[in-house]
Amino acid sequence: MIKLSGKQILVFLQVHYEFVKEIFDVSKPDFILDSDTLNKYIEEYNLNHERKISITKLIDVKFCRQLPTKDYKVNRSYIDFLQFLFDDFTLDLPETLKERYKTIFELFSKLKTADKTSKIVVLITNIINVIDVFLNDIHRQTQRLLIDTESLKVNANEYSDLSKRLEKAIFWIDEYIEPLNKILEKGHPESFYSAIVEIQSYTSEKRYVAESYKLKREYAKLYASTLYARTELDQNLQKLTRELKPLLDRIKSDSIILSGFYHFVENIDYPEKFIIPIPHPIKKTKGNPIFKKFDSEAQFYVDQFNYKTADTFYVEQVEDLEWLPDSTYFKEQLLKEKGVSDFYKWCFDILKQHTEEITLSKYFTITNLLLEEDLAVDYNSDERNEIILDDAILMMPKVKIYERISNKT
Amino acid sequence: MREYPTKHREIVSLLLDGKFMIYPNPLFGVLVENDEDYIEFFKKSYDFDLIIETDFAYLSSEDVNEKRTRDFTLFLAILSRELDYSGKNFREKIQFGTFDIQEIEELLRQSSKWEILEKTTVADFEKFIKTWRSKNLLEVNGSKFKFTKAIKLFFRFAMEIAEEKLKEQNILEKE
Repeated sequence: MIKLSGKQILVFLQVHYEFVKEIFDVSKPDFILDSDTLNKYIEEYNLNHERKISITKLIDVKFCRQLPTKDYKVNRSYIDFLQFLFDDFTLDLPETLKERYKTIFELFSKLKTADKTSKIVVLITNIINVIDVFLNDIHRQTQRLLIDTESLKVNANEYSDLSKRLEKAIFWIDEYIEPLNKILEKGHPESFYSAIVEIQSYTSEKRYVAESYKLKREYAKLYASTLYARTELDQNLQKLTRELKPLLDRIKSDSIILSGFYHFVENIDYPEKFIIPIPHPIKKTKGNPIFKKFDSEAQFYVDQFNYKTADTFYVEQVEDLEWLPDSTYFKEQLLKEKGVSDFYKWCFDILKQHTEEITLSKYFTITNLLLEEDLAVDYNSDERNEIILDDAILMMPKVKIYERISNKT
Repeated sequence: MREYPTKHREIVSLLLDGKFMIYPNPLFGVLVENDEDYIEFFKKSYDFDLIIETDFAYLSSEDVNEKRTRDFTLFLAILSRELDYSGKNFREKIQFGTFDIQEIEELLRQSSKWEILEKTTVADFEKFIKTWRSKNLLEVNGSKFKFTKAIKLFFRFAMEIAEEKLKEQNILEKE
């Protein structure tokens, strides 16, 4: 083969597609393989395929070249094409992207001062190309991050080491998402987005007022290119800020929760290692509104008397000056009534005639007449009356009482 | 004597029963409106701390050493782990999903961490579910259950542990 043609390269890729894919995958992300590994893959591939492959052939089609270290490096042009072919891109640091898009500012400054048509045409072509490359870069970055983030989310087993998962999420947010956001930030004067807006407004006017038709046409191309770039950027920004960032934030916080739980479970028998006290909602408590310190304070109060010897207290008998007739008197009064329709009310009323202070004990002294054998009681009514005593309120049934007929005969 | 809100008795007895009060329970609104008064009321009357979060409230006491709370945290930790391992978004599932009581018991029993759970109150799973339903941490509907908003308390506990651990590790790395 004297001169390599594009067709030969395409045939090589088509015939040895599986081999190329395998080498692409195993040599990522630097696309360098040591000679032993490459030879091993060639041998394995040749065993199962009719059309053989060799190192010489790979070098002939410029698939790879040997480095001074004897390792093999895949050709950059292949890498770019294969990344597009397999939709599998490597991540560039945003700093690298930043350097790249800064050239747009430089080219644009030159364009504004250029006066020769040929120079203007070259500058416009260059700006269009740089914008294209940059858009492609941003798209690749976003795709790669989306794929990796999804995998981080789904393949929990692969990332079962929580600290690694967490580390990866934090790394992507800090090193890629945030800087990418800054590069694309709409309000920032030095962002790529601002450059595009500036070029768009400049070319929007120039495409009508330029000196010649050729120049108007060139400015119109650049104008169209910036319009397309804005749409593309908006879509990528949306993916970054609405999908990727929240997803990574969630992976980050979810991993934090899981690793916290992990420490908790691992130290379940050593609560002192939890660092943070476990939540302590109360148990069911009796509805007794007494401050619990009351108990200890009361104990303290009582304790201060403990050292004293016991004193003897004499309780003075309080002389009861009130005189009441005995039950015989009340029975006589009852019999005189020749039948009472509401016995308990009668008891209250008759007591009232002799004392102002009607207590339970006095009241029951009289109501006990109910038990006298010579009195008959009729409980037919369900009616109850409230009897208000000095030390109690009673609900008493309405009972009739009268002398037994047998007693009279 | 000060005036208490109309639902005062319901609020006090719900919280003293050791239950979580969850938004949109109308009592939660009354509690939030009178937050300062209630915080003082529970502190002075019972020496309990009333914790009011965005959408739930509960009484807390440092003197309470509830083994059952430890068991619940353990249950949640292991359930989260198992859901994560099966590729599910565990936090979303726990916060918004519904679980089948029997299926979850089965899932836990198959876990390598069951040897820890079986020594706790989680072992009698149905009773465990009933206990935490009575505290309003779970809602049970037939054979299904779901977590209430109060579950966030336990997620935050895990986050705080992890953050403390990370701080510790960073300190170690710096040394």
